[in-house]
Amino acid sequence: MRNGGERNIVVETVSRVMIPFIQLFALYVIIHGAGGPGGGFQGGVVFASAFILYVIAFNLAGGRERFPESVNTILSSLGLYIYAGIGLLAIIFSLGMAQYLNYGFIPFTSRFEENRALGMDFVEIGIGITVMAITASIFFDLAQKDAEEKEEEGEGSRSWNGSSQKSSPNTTIGSSSSS
Amino acid sequence: MNGLRAIALILIFLLCALFIYVAEDIPVFGDPNAPPIKSVELLTVKGDQIVSLLDKHIVPENLSEALVKRGFPPPSRVEKIAGIEGEWNAFIAKEEPHYAKEEKYYWIKEEGDRVKVSRYAFVIRWIEKGLEETAVPNMVTYGLADYRGYDTLGETSVIFTAGVSVILLLRRRSRL
Repeated sequence: MRNGGERNIVVETVSRVMIPFIQLFALYVIIHGAGGPGGGFQGGVVFASAFILYVIAFNLAGGRERFPESVNTILSSLGLYIYAGIGLLAIIFSLGMAQYLNYGFIPFTSRFEENRALGMDFVEIGIGITVMAITASIFFDLAQKDAEEKEEEGEGSRSWNGSSQKSSPNTTIGSSSSS
Repeated sequence: MNGLRAIALILIFLLCALFIYVAEDIPVFGDPNAPPIKSVELLTVKGDQIVSLLDKHIVPENLSEALVKRGFPPPSRVEKIAGIEGEWNAFIAKEEPHYAKEEKYYWIKEEGDRVKVSRYAFVIRWIEKGLEETAVPNMVTYGLADYRGYDTLGETSVIFTAGVSVILLLRRRSRL
């Protein structure tokens, strides 16, 4: 993103220190969605904000290297599949009662209520993965579009200059024909 | 690459089938057997004349006393449920401070020589029985992920769809 802009030591150092703590806090928010304020949506957005901070402080290409496009695409659908898969497991383990998304039937533990709590945790993790990947994906796409347009503008002006210079090749052609 | 595409297609069809199943499985609005409409048992009251008083559309005094003792508003009117023997609806009048309009509030059922008083409201079930039923102390979370699990599944898929549409719009490999 920052083509030719000077590096800001303060911003880079502070974000380098902060990013791990932001990611840790995001995981805390997702895992503690059942016990306290938080949940998948909030934790996912906080996790994506760590990537956004990295891109703003360093550069876009480095951010894409850390979080590649293929991994991003896979994660964005993986969360939804975790959610729907937990529901499918509930259907399978309810043995003909067809209790979709009734987590109590999945035998994580021996107690029905504990199973519901654990199923909720897994669902929150799924939501968190999807929200994180989608937010990061939208941000990266918009930023890349912006960078590409800037590049195109630069290339266009250059090519326009080149075409103005290319008006001279007539002379080269002429010279070649003459030679 | 072709195998990967085939797997992706199979997964998509699986998810589509699951979502069609979900749309079919959502309880009908007003279904009397849906979990939100089931009642919550409050207390049982013992007494001989209760049934005869209830049949005469009079609220028995010991019943309303027992309710007030537990912090619930006393009913003002009792009506027999049409067609069912030994069951009554108790209403709360407009004058009660928190109830702007008259509403059906208690469900009274005869059980032997006792009378069982239950409460209709979904909110009460949500608040009072949630921790007991799901072992999660956070009311918002068990509402979001358990009681309203279908809704949250839909929300997640909405976010996924938004991301996919942004990818389709902006991430064009081949220029037109």
